[in-house]
Amino acid sequence: MTTVAPEKVAVPTKRWSGQSVPRKEDRRLTQGQGVFVDDVKRHGMGYLHFVRSPYAHAHITSIDVSKAEEIKGVFGTLTGEEVAALTDPFFQIAGAPGGQIKDFSLAVGKVRYVGEAVVAVVAETRELARDASELVEVEYEPLPALVDARKALDADAPLIHDDAGGNLMWQGIYEWGDLDAAFAEADRVVKIDELHFHRFNSTPLECDGALVEYNRGTGQWTIHTNNQFPGFAAIMMGPAMRCGLDKLRFVTQDIGGGFGNKITSHPQLVACCLLARKLNRPVQWTEWRTDFHMSMSHGNERWFHDTEVAVKADGTLLGFRTKALDDAGAWLRYEPLGGVIWAQVTPGMYRWRHIRVDFTQVATNKAPVSPNRGYSRMQHLWFTERVIDIVAKELELDPVEVRKRNYVRAEDMPYETPNGCIYDSGDYAQMLDMALELIGPVEERRRDAQERGKLFGVGIGSTLDSGTNNFGQSQLINAELQFSGNNEVATVKLDIFGEIVVTLGTTPQGQGHETTAAQVVADILECSVDDVHVRAGHDSYWNSHAGFSGTYASQFAVTGLSAVKGATEMLAAEIKKLAGAVFGGVPVEALELAGGGVRIKDNPDAFLPFMACGAIINANNAGLPDDLDVTLNCRYVYRPPFQVPDVERKYGNLTLTYAAQIHVAVVEVDPETGYYDVVDYAAVDDCGKRINPQIVEGQVMGATAQAIGAAVHETYEYDDDGNLLTPNFYDYHVPHALDMPPLQTGFIESPSPFTPLGTKGMGEGGGAGIHAICAAIQDATGAIVTDSHNPYQRVWELLQ
Amino acid sequence: MDVAVSINGTLYERDVEPRKLLIHFLRDDLDLTGSHIGCDTGNCGACSVIVDGKLVKSCMLLAVQANGSTVETVEGLADGDELNALQQAFSDHHALQCGYCTPGMLMSATALLRESPSPTDDEIRKALQGNICRCTGYWNIFEAVKAAAR
Amino acid sequence: MLLREVEYAKPSSVPEALSLLAGNDGARALAGGQTLINVMKARAASPDMLVDLSGLEELKGIELGADGTLSIGPMTTYAELIASAEAKARPILGEVCAQIADVQVRNRGTIGGNVCANDPTNHLPPLMAAVGAQMTVTGSGGERTVPAKDFFLGVYMTAVGPGELLTRIAIPAGKHDGFAAVTLGVDGTCIVNAAASANGSLRVALGCVDAVPVVVEAESPDAVRAAVRGAGLEPPSDVHASSEYRAHLAEVLAERAAREAVAKS
Repeated sequence: MTTVAPEKVAVPTKRWSGQSVPRKEDRRLTQGQGVFVDDVKRHGMGYLHFVRSPYAHAHITSIDVSKAEEIKGVFGTLTGEEVAALTDPFFQIAGAPGGQIKDFSLAVGKVRYVGEAVVAVVAETRELARDASELVEVEYEPLPALVDARKALDADAPLIHDDAGGNLMWQGIYEWGDLDAAFAEADRVVKIDELHFHRFNSTPLECDGALVEYNRGTGQWTIHTNNQFPGFAAIMMGPAMRCGLDKLRFVTQDIGGGFGNKITSHPQLVACCLLARKLNRPVQWTEWRTDFHMSMSHGNERWFHDTEVAVKADGTLLGFRTKALDDAGAWLRYEPLGGVIWAQVTPGMYRWRHIRVDFTQVATNKAPVSPNRGYSRMQHLWFTERVIDIVAKELELDPVEVRKRNYVRAEDMPYETPNGCIYDSGDYAQMLDMALELIGPVEERRRDAQERGKLFGVGIGSTLDSGTNNFGQSQLINAELQFSGNNEVATVKLDIFGEIVVTLGTTPQGQGHETTAAQVVADILECSVDDVHVRAGHDSYWNSHAGFSGTYASQFAVTGLSAVKGATEMLAAEIKKLAGAVFGGVPVEALELAGGGVRIKDNPDAFLPFMACGAIINANNAGLPDDLDVTLNCRYVYRPPFQVPDVERKYGNLTLTYAAQIHVAVVEVDPETGYYDVVDYAAVDDCGKRINPQIVEGQVMGATAQAIGAAVHETYEYDDDGNLLTPNFYDYHVPHALDMPPLQTGFIESPSPFTPLGTKGMGEGGGAGIHAICAAIQDATGAIVTDSHNPYQRVWELLQ
Repeated sequence: MDVAVSINGTLYERDVEPRKLLIHFLRDDLDLTGSHIGCDTGNCGACSVIVDGKLVKSCMLLAVQANGSTVETVEGLADGDELNALQQAFSDHHALQCGYCTPGMLMSATALLRESPSPTDDEIRKALQGNICRCTGYWNIFEAVKAAAR
Repeated sequence: MLLREVEYAKPSSVPEALSLLAGNDGARALAGGQTLINVMKARAASPDMLVDLSGLEELKGIELGADGTLSIGPMTTYAELIASAEAKARPILGEVCAQIADVQVRNRGTIGGNVCANDPTNHLPPLMAAVGAQMTVTGSGGERTVPAKDFFLGVYMTAVGPGELLTRIAIPAGKHDGFAAVTLGVDGTCIVNAAASANGSLRVALGCVDAVPVVVEAESPDAVRAAVRGAGLEPPSDVHASSEYRAHLAEVLAERAAREAVAKS
């Protein structure tokens, strides 16, 4: 594995920021001392098992839990009927028609996908809960299942939600520029009937889970869980449970991967809360792998129909129009935000100005869709990359040249897209050159492969990782919504003995927040990272969270670290104010932080260590000036600069930063079988200022591996009756060690002009690997690739 | 049924149901929560431990089958507070992100290095084939094992 | 993930094991557990009693007879077979075992378990059929020898009946063997596999295309594809491959396995 970088780094390296500081998290994780939710135990806790629907679509005609409840050691059960009496339906993001559906924590009256939770059973042991669940008798009246989203709006399609009156969940038309003029000016109109982005997700190794305690005296729930967006969970759960949000305390420590797939566990958490209260004991829920595959957070499956692309003969792209059909599955849990989030990257990486997307989202009898790494932008970016390669093929132009001709250029930055998003910085052409250089010359390799009877292909995948959402884009989905902007919180304090303690609002699942936060703090306080103690995980009781707190959407490097920066700068200012007073009225401009304390610049022997500062404020404060406004316990809320978008024109800045990745994949295809190997691979990324390069590279690698998995093997396929055919790791093959290609990586740093640290959020990786492998297969086979998922059979079929 | 199992040098004697999987015995009965569960079909390897000198997936063994056996888990790798060379190499090479697959990965690497102190790249991959990681893409893990081997 | 209640017994002799199996309707033999435990986790099958064979020394060990026949104990693990000097008398055995899953599975999974499970995607049933293995089946009534071609009866079904055990596998020595597969990822589950043996006549056994291995004979590798077509395969369709694609792969892999077998000197 080799890494190359350009000679000059744009921003000078500070003492800690920019270094690959060893991770604080590693000590406990390499010893198996991480605390993941299933590691947490409480005396007398009951284990919960969900009885799940075997049908994709059915009326529930009766439920009888009596036999289960008779078993010694079974503590109790919960049914949909109880849930409907005790809670209100979850808030819906959509307006009519999708917003009319009634979503509860257990199925009420009807089941709408195989694996939907119908009854919860709680017992003394895991095994007993599982056994007792087999004694729960549920009678169903099966209904026809709707599995193909393209049929969802047919007159005779099975109706999934009576309350919505149809399977249409949301629809919107996005149009900017002048399409008529663009198509009139075009030398060619390239038509693509159908492109399909398939259904899969990131299958974090740890599944969802919770241990919920209920305090009868105070009405307080403590929810130990691995939900990665507690802010969202609280907003969903509080109103449903008819309680104030402060009654829901979320506690997380270590989370075994999230990738967006741990955002919408609120229905299961509500079931746990209701049972903890009903049974007056802690309730523990472990989700097994099959449960996760059947019911959690599938990524958006999206069709692009009747695409037309206006191009000039030299490959200049003028614009496109397409009809996007999005399959939301059986419930809208975070959807239909996917219907707007793609618009953060409307033109992909290209300069076309005339764009129309007719977006339709429908319900089907499949697992509910929720954010998956690259959420909604990945699907759209894959679409733009397919268009580039298909146009290049039709016009018989080099895909490299077509990209360079059309890429947004470094000199265009900051670049305003047709819908008002601002690409902050970047140099895509340079990144493409770097990626191609990492692969090296291919002609001899192509000849060598051909001599061995293999087809050889090279493909490019360019992608953006838009980060730090403006939640005002939700108003483009539903103008009644009262969400906009974004925020994150951090606190930094000096304890009595001068210990620097940081709390974050985020819920990291491996991104090393404890480490990078410490780097930022140490730079500002001029101390060692070893002196900075960052509390692990998230706890609502720390009061370092706000409405949007969590770890999702590629934003920590901006929102989380900016909150840390803000809090630390507040603390630094207070330390100087205190020292100034203690030194007898020295102005703060004459002071500096150094060596683990504060001193007078011109007289460094006048030095107050942090320990003294902490001790004075906390325990020895007599004699301080009356007007000294210092607590040494600073809380800061970072708020990115956003406006509410123009709902009429669907126009405005939807994300603050745009990290970029450009990948090149090389494949060799066995034409007799369709089997193929990825024989070489290069990934170049740009996420602005890198606080910890090793952590950033780790994210690039991980996203690459997941994209390769999705491109070749990973898919959630359903049969015609709505049964999931890949419900576990036996059939849903994720990459293992022997599946990995060689990897070269490179980077550039284009700092963001919009963020306090010049960082850009990153981590999702925008599916670049999928785009690159599709392109490589197209190059190798000479056939147009129209599906994001290309297992060996599909490649063989392309060759027939 | 009574079982007696020596785990990381400590003898544990318990009464367990025959149906209890070794991984649940470790995690739930003995509070050795370092080994993890990531799947339900024996594919992910997060539960990997060493039993009588052989690397196995503890989700495919009953606790009663380990009666009289010697078991090594991640909790036995460090020397008190000192990370061993392999654990340190994992940290040095950023071979872990969320840490969930890491205990199993460390046991697989430990088993490899005992048998093959200077493994080739191919041998490393083959040895880790039974351990799924979703965060790292494995490349840094290969580097870490190579570094620990030198 | 959580098993139903089950009894557990660990006999110390084959007669004791047979008695337990014969005396309990719901008793199943537990070999390496790499298949059975997963089946029980899914509750797809829930035996009342597990009869652990790991204490039965008679079922272990590999011997190479003077006439070049390998005698393999069914409780031999894949790892043991790969490491066995005796097993090198038939190198294809270790080569194929080394492709099965991963180290953990190979440390526990057994030759006998793989063969008796007879999952259509398993590696060893077609291999046994290609090399002409002879299976010794023992019951309360005594021992009998079943040739591989009569051993595999249906999906998950073999000639080992209730109250019986596979106690020995005999394979003649030989070097002219081949194996080809397309798998779900490297060393993954087979989508289609083919085992070929060219020790004397050319025989190819196909896996994953029917309930049991399908054996074809041909004069030479050039004639293999026609022989496979002549077998009139109607392979199953599933999420990993259509029937048509499996049938096509069967032809291609059969020929490749045959060429590999013939090429070995």
